[in-house]
Amino acid sequence: MNEEKNLYKPIEAKVLRVVTESPTIKTFVLEPEEEFSFKTGQFIEVTLDGIGEAPFTPSSSPLVTDKLDVTVMQTGYVTDRMHQFEGGEIVGIRGPYGRGYPLDALYGKEVLILGGGCGFAPLRSLLYNLEAEKDKVKKVTFCYGSKNPQECIYEPYIDELRKIDNFEVMRTVDEGDEKWTEEVGVATVLLDKVKVNIDNSVAVVCGPPIMMKFGVQKLQELGYPDTQIYLSMEKNMSCGHGKCGHCMFGKYFVCRDGPVFRYDEIKDLPDIWL
Amino acid sequence: MGQYFLLNKANWDNVLTTFLTEYEIYAPLLYNENQDYEVMTKELIPEIIYNTPKPATPLKTFFLPVEENVTDSNESFKKRIIIGIPNCDLTGLQLVDEIYLDEEYPDTIYKQRRDNTILIGTDCHSIQEHCHCTTYGINPYPDTNHDVLLTINEDLVYLKVNSEKGEKLVEKIPGDYLRKPTETQLQKILDARENIRAQLNDKNKDLPDYKETGELIRNSHNGIWKKYADTCVSCGACTAICPTCTCFLLIDKPGFEKIRHLDACQYPAFEKVAAGGDPLKNLSERFRNRYMCKYVWKPEKFESIACTGCGRCIETCIGDISKNELFIELKSE
Repeated sequence: MNEEKNLYKPIEAKVLRVVTESPTIKTFVLEPEEEFSFKTGQFIEVTLDGIGEAPFTPSSSPLVTDKLDVTVMQTGYVTDRMHQFEGGEIVGIRGPYGRGYPLDALYGKEVLILGGGCGFAPLRSLLYNLEAEKDKVKKVTFCYGSKNPQECIYEPYIDELRKIDNFEVMRTVDEGDEKWTEEVGVATVLLDKVKVNIDNSVAVVCGPPIMMKFGVQKLQELGYPDTQIYLSMEKNMSCGHGKCGHCMFGKYFVCRDGPVFRYDEIKDLPDIWL
Repeated sequence: MGQYFLLNKANWDNVLTTFLTEYEIYAPLLYNENQDYEVMTKELIPEIIYNTPKPATPLKTFFLPVEENVTDSNESFKKRIIIGIPNCDLTGLQLVDEIYLDEEYPDTIYKQRRDNTILIGTDCHSIQEHCHCTTYGINPYPDTNHDVLLTINEDLVYLKVNSEKGEKLVEKIPGDYLRKPTETQLQKILDARENIRAQLNDKNKDLPDYKETGELIRNSHNGIWKKYADTCVSCGACTAICPTCTCFLLIDKPGFEKIRHLDACQYPAFEKVAAGGDPLKNLSERFRNRYMCKYVWKPEKFESIACTGCGRCIETCIGDISKNELFIELKSE
């Protein structure tokens, strides 16, 4: 890294488009003023000028470098304001930061991906990446859970994924409606139905803490060793480079050592699901 | 390097006066019973307190001010000399260096300040009520991370160069001021050190060492943290004056500017995420977190020690909480 580079100064990015994914989730297509690349699972800091900054893992393909998507749930100070965007706004971005998804560990494997709610966002980036390299993985099984059919995001992408040979998508909602034809129940119920060869499988989990907690328990019951389970740990990442301390997670700084962790790396830390 | 020079106190004061044209000099002055760093003028130089622990402000504050704009810094980085730094603070700065001079993400403002600052460390010739550096294997005299060592004995100033920066500074002292100390004179310095070390060891003989403290904390029960946090009001003073606590908050200003402001894990919502999760929601968890950080987690991640036994957190606590009493109680359980 260039020593002269200011670690805190964002580059500007234009909001090209706003896509409403659900009543609470929107995707913002950003065009950075200069080329900006990231590895799948790494995160960026998005600044709303004079308002605040928040960490997001891009939901677009890491292979695209002229623009990137962040998919954002309306849940706080910064995201409330983002949800008022209509397109054309200028935001700041810094990064990318952290350790993303371990692609090397997925190659040659049956990849089981468990996502919940807005946790699909980072996973979509991973799925794009795996789709582009589909010959390198044996199989991808994507299990997605959401509160209700309206909160199921990326509907068109789900259809695309279902057309890929060695990709399988299973979805569930906590509460269905008359049009819903897929599973009903919490995300972990899907794990009872997956057909994977666990001896040659790696699991990737991203979602709300409660889902990750029970997801991991279920994966362990199915026989996944802790070393074959990867989790995206969302903490209050702020500086992005291991200095400000806000995302300290035991001995780790989530911003640098994560946000993706292997379960055995973190399982002994206190309160990991808070 | 590594050789002692000595000069008369009056000559040393003259040297510092000439340095004022080139450097901003900070040194401790006494106020009532306390001391702190002040910007030196010719008139103040003879008033500098030497060999006495310890300035109220920790050394980190020279490099990480409480608040600053980190995106629009036009600071000219004037060359500075800081005099009278105790070894607890020099040792504490090692960890701050490790974090802020990180190879992958060096903080340029911090680095420029470090590069432009000459650190003159000093032997401690007395101890304060809560000093316990030796308990954590730290000497009560500079042995690391300084440019020049300074100690005074019988109105003679002894200097020892410890870095290239320090060597260049000492070269600016007129040669006819400098003499080599005799063996007897050097022995007096060493004796003073041993005397202080013995006092510290004796005073703190019941305290567990750094490693044992980490083990005790790791295996501790919640009850003890609740008990000691009973008078904690989350004011964060212990972190503000700690030589190794440097967590911060970024505050946004229009123009994509960012203000870095000293923050603390002792404040509510330090780790709170937008969705509501907050691992440090309860005060006693925040209270415990600081000790987990200093004695358990930082040692797993960094080479430098995260508590240097300066005792400032005990001195400053308005709830009269003594971490050392807590550790002794943990040890006795």
